[in-house]
Amino acid sequence: MGLDLKPLVTREKTSIESFMSRVVAIDAYNALYQFVSSIRGADGAPLADTRGRMTSHLAGLFYRNIKFLSLGVKPVYVFDGKPPSLKATEIERRRAAKKDAAIKYEKAIRQGDAAGAKKYAQQTTVMHDDMIAESKKLLGFFGIPCVQAPADGEAMAAYMTTTGQAYAAASQDYDSILFGATRLVRNFSSSGRRKLPNRNTYIDVEVETIRTQAVLDMHKITREQLVDIGILIGTDFNPDGFRRIGPKTAIKLIKEHGKLEDIKGVSDELAKIDYKAIRDIFLSKPTVDEPRPEWAKPDAGAIIEYLAGERSFSRDRLEASLSRLKKAQEKQSHNLDNWF
Amino acid sequence: MVFKAETAGSDDLKAIISAVSTLVDEATFVASAEGITFRGMDPSHVALIDISWPNSAFEKYECDGDIRFGVKIDELGRLIKRVGKKDKIEIGISDDNKLLVTISGTKKYKIRMIESSSSETPLPKVTYDAKMVMDLQNFDRILGDIDVVSEYLTVTTKGSKSVFSGKGDSGEVSLDVKGGDEGVREITASAESTATYSLEYLNPITKAIGSAAEDITCEYSESKPLRLEFKVSNIGRIHFYLAPRVDS
Repeated sequence: MGLDLKPLVTREKTSIESFMSRVVAIDAYNALYQFVSSIRGADGAPLADTRGRMTSHLAGLFYRNIKFLSLGVKPVYVFDGKPPSLKATEIERRRAAKKDAAIKYEKAIRQGDAAGAKKYAQQTTVMHDDMIAESKKLLGFFGIPCVQAPADGEAMAAYMTTTGQAYAAASQDYDSILFGATRLVRNFSSSGRRKLPNRNTYIDVEVETIRTQAVLDMHKITREQLVDIGILIGTDFNPDGFRRIGPKTAIKLIKEHGKLEDIKGVSDELAKIDYKAIRDIFLSKPTVDEPRPEWAKPDAGAIIEYLAGERSFSRDRLEASLSRLKKAQEKQSHNLDNWF
Repeated sequence: MVFKAETAGSDDLKAIISAVSTLVDEATFVASAEGITFRGMDPSHVALIDISWPNSAFEKYECDGDIRFGVKIDELGRLIKRVGKKDKIEIGISDDNKLLVTISGTKKYKIRMIESSSSETPLPKVTYDAKMVMDLQNFDRILGDIDVVSEYLTVTTKGSKSVFSGKGDSGEVSLDVKGGDEGVREITASAESTATYSLEYLNPITKAIGSAAEDITCEYSESKPLRLEFKVSNIGRIHFYLAPRVDS
């Protein structure tokens, strides 16, 4: 999932603190997916309430937003609308992979292979409509706005950075750069470390920003050319990319020939995909303009009522976190940027 | 390129390093023919330090271009801490691009440099309505008095009188200061001004400069940033800007 732009971008180290009083548009599916796949018990099963309903996404959202709000960050969650039909292949591929993982999971369980079971369980992660609704409900209690994207959430989050509605778009996927995000922030999570998938080790993960303009300047290319490079490598809309073309070859070809149509060696493969439509997905603006997001004070009572009352969270822990948040919010200062 | 700066003692440099370390872990200094400057903000952009250390403050100073050098401030601080009050400190850049710190001509340290930041930090544009000039000791005592019950300081200045106050879970405090009080040189306000600032930022910077400065000039306006000017004997100026607290 996501495209491999890593070798082509310059990443600047930063910290969550430096986003104080900034609006950050968070790719909601990307964040929720991470919660659901990583917040799990030792057996690989997601957290669940007493009725067996998954709560990993709620736990993730709760703690992460406590952190964001304590530091004065203004998150806005951007939810996917209807995926573009071109994404069907990729969606089908992911569905098949999950089905395959589910079969392997069953097998691992039968064989008593705990490590395998956990690994495959994570790969079966699926998002249900209920989870989206629950997430929006919890965010509402936090006073955090949600934005509904017409199509791709990432595209909308990127667009919001270009209109000044958001300072940065938060996602793990580099697609945001193809969508033209002024600033993409990766690893925008609460802790400085992340567990490596399938391994029992943690790595230090640093918050980093990538500016699309800096990427374009560095390679002396246009945004249109960057999108063409993405298509050569493989995007969600042509997941296989082009044969034997990785990031380095892709940029070389585009710099040499200017655009996809002018690269002679790839014309056969190019004819097989609707590259013009893919370009259009990345380069066109989402068609709706959402009203300016607004933030309200968190409703601690409602959060506790929902998570402890209905979803089996520990009341004490919720109360402790929320009171820490209240304290932190009381002592927030403005930002000098207001006076520059 | 030539860059060599030698101080008469270590007080200035100690004050600068400890002031800078209250806000940042990594600092980029700029040396030019005029002297050495530093400007930086904490990651959340609540506070800013602006230091100008003119060539006249040094015993010897030589610099024939603009040189930026980045250091990890704790790495430099650890070494400066070991320097005696009267020790001369010479700063330069070595051929292998390390920061060269020579103490009393005999002890030579080479400290690694880090990538210097290229971004220019602007200064807040504020017209200040209220102004207080007092002994730094006096200012430090006021902060301490407020700190007993509060995490922030609210100050109201009207005419030649300021009222400092604070409030916390344990209680509240209010403290009157007039121009002409002992250790208070001047209090003036062209308009009545009230603002609230976090002690979390004010305490460390005041302590960091400590005895290196005698006087402090404190300027602010209604709900706008505060500017502290520390008069450190040799250093041209240390300005500290602090954004007001969000009213809750």
